[in-house]
Amino acid sequence: MNDQIGQNAAARPQQGVSFAQTRGAPQALAPGRAMLSLRGLDFYYGANHALKNISIDFPEQRVTGLIGPSGCGKSTLLRVMNRMYDLYPGQRATGEVLLDGQNIIAPGTDTNALRSRVGMVFQKPTPFPMSIFDNVAFGVRLHESLDRAAMEARIEDALRRVALWAEVKDRLRAPAAALSGGQQQRLCIARTIATRPEVILLDEPTSALDPISTARIEELLDELKVEFTIAIVTHNLQQAARCADQVAFFYMGELVEVAPADRLFTAPREKRTQDYITGRFG
Amino acid sequence: MSSNDPRRIVRSYEQELNQLRAMMARMGGMVESQTANALAAVLNRDSEAAQQAMEQDPEVDAVERDVEGRAIRMLALRAPMAQDLREIVSALKVTSDLERIGDYAANIAKRSLRIGSGDAGLSLGALRNMGRLVQESLRLAIDALSQNDEAKAIEVWNSDKAVDELYNSMFRELITYMMEDPRNISSCTHLLFIAKNLERIGDHCTNIAEQVHYSVTGELLPAARPRGGQGSERGFHLDPDDPEEGAQDDRDRDPARGVSDQGPAGPELGSR
Amino acid sequence: MSATTTRLGAASRHVAPEAGRARRRRFANLAATVLCAVATAILLAALVSILVTLVSRGLGGLHLSTFTRMTSPPGSGGGLLNPIVGSIIQTVLAVLVGAPVGLLAGVFLAEFGTGSWVADVVRFVSDMLLSAPSILVGLFVYLILVGPVGHFSGFAGAMSLAILVIPIVVRTTEDMLRLVPTSMREAAAALGAPRWKVVMLICVRAARKGIATGILLAVARVSGETAPLLFTSLGNLSWSVNLNAPMSSLPVTIYQYAGSAYDDWVQLAWTAALLITAGVLIINIIARLGLGGRDST
Repeated sequence: MNDQIGQNAAARPQQGVSFAQTRGAPQALAPGRAMLSLRGLDFYYGANHALKNISIDFPEQRVTGLIGPSGCGKSTLLRVMNRMYDLYPGQRATGEVLLDGQNIIAPGTDTNALRSRVGMVFQKPTPFPMSIFDNVAFGVRLHESLDRAAMEARIEDALRRVALWAEVKDRLRAPAAALSGGQQQRLCIARTIATRPEVILLDEPTSALDPISTARIEELLDELKVEFTIAIVTHNLQQAARCADQVAFFYMGELVEVAPADRLFTAPREKRTQDYITGRFG
Repeated sequence: MSSNDPRRIVRSYEQELNQLRAMMARMGGMVESQTANALAAVLNRDSEAAQQAMEQDPEVDAVERDVEGRAIRMLALRAPMAQDLREIVSALKVTSDLERIGDYAANIAKRSLRIGSGDAGLSLGALRNMGRLVQESLRLAIDALSQNDEAKAIEVWNSDKAVDELYNSMFRELITYMMEDPRNISSCTHLLFIAKNLERIGDHCTNIAEQVHYSVTGELLPAARPRGGQGSERGFHLDPDDPEEGAQDDRDRDPARGVSDQGPAGPELGSR
Repeated sequence: MSATTTRLGAASRHVAPEAGRARRRRFANLAATVLCAVATAILLAALVSILVTLVSRGLGGLHLSTFTRMTSPPGSGGGLLNPIVGSIIQTVLAVLVGAPVGLLAGVFLAEFGTGSWVADVVRFVSDMLLSAPSILVGLFVYLILVGPVGHFSGFAGAMSLAILVIPIVVRTTEDMLRLVPTSMREAAAALGAPRWKVVMLICVRAARKGIATGILLAVARVSGETAPLLFTSLGNLSWSVNLNAPMSSLPVTIYQYAGSAYDDWVQLAWTAALLITAGVLIINIIARLGLGGRDST
């Protein structure tokens, strides 16, 4: 660390600069294309205004961490991006959620097709009551009709990518519920990536897992972000710090601050962010 | 931390941070008095003050180790974020700056005993000025540290230039004395090192100021800071790692501190 | 130091009421335990005496001939073959008709009808049916399937049992589907599955053991029903598997034989009662062990 700062000392520009900007390249957000862009998004649970005028970009090949106290709207935001809220009456969104430039919350959007492009992984592992193989195949079968060989290849590929293949290749026909919690969650991620989405939304994916399984999932995110745009909701600040390239802090339905992870966690600009991440009464 | 902040949810965390701040302030006070004693030893030929300055050094070292231990403990157990993180990391660095200042003060005190009594008139005026400036910097730096005062930090940061310039002129003056009369060489060399030590104390004050500024604002001050003349071009990284300076300066330090303890941060810090 | 002594003093002041409260709690605990134990003992005693009576009276008449001979006039050494077969036929038919209807209605209530008034009405009617006296069901089927046709029939008996099966299956299906976590539905929907696929491929599958248990319990329930059969399949003393004719069944046979003046008929009635009880017991055990265990797979 001394060395790094020593080196940076030579290269540092004249003016006062943030710590974040002087750090190495991988942390700083490259000016990548925004895969998902929210513009002036409002969301309502009935009369409850749950998200207020949110505008944020989710850059391609980056992990965006969403943090904030319970009920701040971060999970709601995820559920807007794949229109999960459609499942429930009385929930509506206004504004724009642009996926590749197309407003997906506009009426007339094919939500099933949308969800094949924007996958989601939930807090608790939710293996379907079927075999490991069928779990992964379920999503694929909904959108594509592959022949047997192609399907097997697809499933192997998905399981390999979540580092589960070696553990399950001899028991693909066994019920998925027999897997451990961590394995189940990786299976759920495999199930999601098997449909080849562009965006993956993760809603506290490790909150029910032990530290080792959590580390595996975090490692996995690092590998997956090469290919997917990832948004992860987490209550664990350390996890956001470890996994995310940019972090967005939500409070009472508002987006308070979004910044590269290292900047947000070392030198947040907003007082509310600072109070939250240092554990103060808000 | 300003007082209008909402209270931290985990109170023991707040207490630990307060303890850390208190220890830093205490260490600052110790180093300040040590430096004052060292300067008195040189300027007033006060051997008792010299003795005191040297005896204070192990205490300062002990506090440094304590602060380091606490800071590392907090980093490991509290996973600090944002301002807390900056404050703790700064404490780690500032404590080693303070410890080095203590070392330099002890060294000045030791050298003061070796200057022959016959050389009393030699160049002490310039040294007195320099000492005053450095003491003022140190006081300001420690105030900035204990009050989290960014403005004072910048003041310290800007004042180092004057110290550097005084050092350079003293350097030339002492060289002249030595050329005039070789019998002066021994005393002048000691004085030269004393001046150098003072200059280094000034540098460490600047480091402390930079840390305070970072801790308070989250922004690093620019690399190039105002400074005078030759011989002092380096980053805000500490000297002992600089081979050239180290050869002159640090070998001559208190021999009780082993060679292994070169860096500002002891090996147990694990940060490098 | 002074703080510690104060706290100790405070603690010692509380000792007396603390002990009194502990005594009261122990007494209340003891009283509750004893009452529960007595209630359990009464229940167990009743159950055991029924079973003991049933076995001691019924086992004596249980021979191979019970399963191979027809019912016959008193004194001629008849068996229970035709009531057994009749009961099986009518129960199976009732389940074949009632279970799918109940299943689909349950799926509707749990998955599609949430919040709609239709679902509320259906649920209310179904619950009514669940607690309606079964003789009413028999009377109703008599009115529509026996009266107009002019004769009793096994089919009518099966239909009246089917009507009893439906509400049970509706209730268990709905309950079991409601136990399927929302997260599983959301996970399937999040993959882009349309609603009906989510329900049929995921939810019903997840609840299949519970639903199967419900159906088995319905079987157990209707296989002992007598009242609806009295008005519908009537009972038949000779061999008949014709659904369009009166059909024999175990409960009706018990009803007819138990009150008769002939010892061997009374004996057969006990044996039939034992057979029904054993059958229900076995079905219940299967439902609990085989299917009721893990519902997650």
